[in-house]
Amino acid sequence: MKRADKTAIKTHSSNGSNGRPPKKKKSAVAELPSRFYGSPLPGVKPEELSGTLVVIEGTDGSGRSTQISLLTEWLESEGFAVQTMGLRRSYLVGEDIDGLLAENSVTRMTLALMYSTDFFDQLERRILPALRSGLIVLADRYIFTLIARAAVRGIGRDYLHGIYETALRPDLTFWLNVRPEVAFDREFKKSQIISYWESGRDMSLSNDLFQSFIRYQSMIKREFEYLSKRHGFIEMDGESSVSDLNRLLRKRIAAHLGIRSTHYRPSHALSHLWR
Amino acid sequence: MLDWQQAWPKLGIVTPDTLTITETLSLKEPAPKRQYPGALVVVEGIDGSGKSTQLYLLKRWLEIGGYRIHFTEWNSSPLVKSATRRGKQRRLLTPTTFSLLHAADFADRCERQIMPLLHGGYLVLADRYIYTAFARDAARGCSPHWLRNLYSFAPTPDITFYFRAPLDVAVNRIVAGRPKLKYYEAGMDLGISLDRAESFRIFQERILTNYDQMIETDNFVLMDGTVRVNKLQKLMRQIVGERISLQQFAPKKK
Repeated sequence: MKRADKTAIKTHSSNGSNGRPPKKKKSAVAELPSRFYGSPLPGVKPEELSGTLVVIEGTDGSGRSTQISLLTEWLESEGFAVQTMGLRRSYLVGEDIDGLLAENSVTRMTLALMYSTDFFDQLERRILPALRSGLIVLADRYIFTLIARAAVRGIGRDYLHGIYETALRPDLTFWLNVRPEVAFDREFKKSQIISYWESGRDMSLSNDLFQSFIRYQSMIKREFEYLSKRHGFIEMDGESSVSDLNRLLRKRIAAHLGIRSTHYRPSHALSHLWR
Repeated sequence: MLDWQQAWPKLGIVTPDTLTITETLSLKEPAPKRQYPGALVVVEGIDGSGKSTQLYLLKRWLEIGGYRIHFTEWNSSPLVKSATRRGKQRRLLTPTTFSLLHAADFADRCERQIMPLLHGGYLVLADRYIYTAFARDAARGCSPHWLRNLYSFAPTPDITFYFRAPLDVAVNRIVAGRPKLKYYEAGMDLGISLDRAESFRIFQERILTNYDQMIETDNFVLMDGTVRVNKLQKLMRQIVGERISLQQFAPKKK
């Protein structure tokens, strides 16, 4: 049933650009969003994309990676094939961005555009093929982090939305919201140092790294509050326990997929994450 | 005379034969006030239109005169170079990533060279500018609206010279001088033709059409790429002298 509804929407959105769908049909689905924010990428047919795109957003230390590991295992145990994506993971420029970040010689616009190249390379070469094959894509961050990071550095929001208007609209976007202080504790516990970029040191906010981190992450959080309203995020309490958060995520995803939210316990390999 | 040459006077375009310099200039809007003391002169046109030769000669003229100038080329940022090279060699680029990678390259030069130099009072000469992306990436299938937004951070040039040569002339200049056309250069990613020379020609034709559409909207100064090199250069220098007060870039007398 769910699948059939979606097909109807997709078919409509593809008709809308060139042909004129019958009036009746138009009014029936006008409220429903298309799979793309603007016009689709060149050569992409939205009706071919039968998979599901689930995005997990949140600042560093919000527990995204943990949840994605657990969700992947749960979905696979339920028989769904999963593809993941994340920042700087493209074959085309992933390593180049690592290099740029290490050098500190890169400026904000160049970095923003390198990240967008990284994003679209993954979208076109990994995500769209996966969605065509009916896979579930779990995205460890998406365009929203990229927009937020560039926006706090003074690049226009409309400009950024313009670049990403050819991106695919997620089926579900979860925002794991944590206070900057909690994110700081978690990040410090994880790596024992606070990184240059995560504390926004390129922005000269404070010479004190704790202050710099808190101020930077607070700015990012404000952008997310704006983005959450604009794009209809599902806001989750990132400070609740891993198992509670996971249960809520599974419930929403299961409802979307039309499956029963079954009982899940992580395997031995992932049990260390289950706190 | 070819059709497009006959169309020139109607468009208010510079050719050595049709209009005098002053008449041409009066057709254009006065340059808007800039927020920087520098000036930006760019050349555009398809491969083989003669633009690089002409900009080189302009650069030599200004260099010899001791003017404060900087020359920048499309697709030349060292930060982005390795990614572009890998993408092209391994044919990984889609129209979108091709476009974004070139935009990143441009952004790097814009933020670290062009803007600081314009603020520092330099005359910046650019071999290809954002109009190359508008013409070429749109020929690859990117939306013109998306491209305009992508490059909206770029400063508007004081003069945009558009060198136009008939397709056959331009294509022959390139094909004759190059043993093998590169994959993306020839637009092979578009799957127009398996023959590189054929694909190149069709691709260039699309780009030419896109350039022509910007003549009026983007205030191009049209230059006839078939005119003799020295005659065209003389015209180019005249136009630069008329439109830009070169005195401000002249060597300072002590």
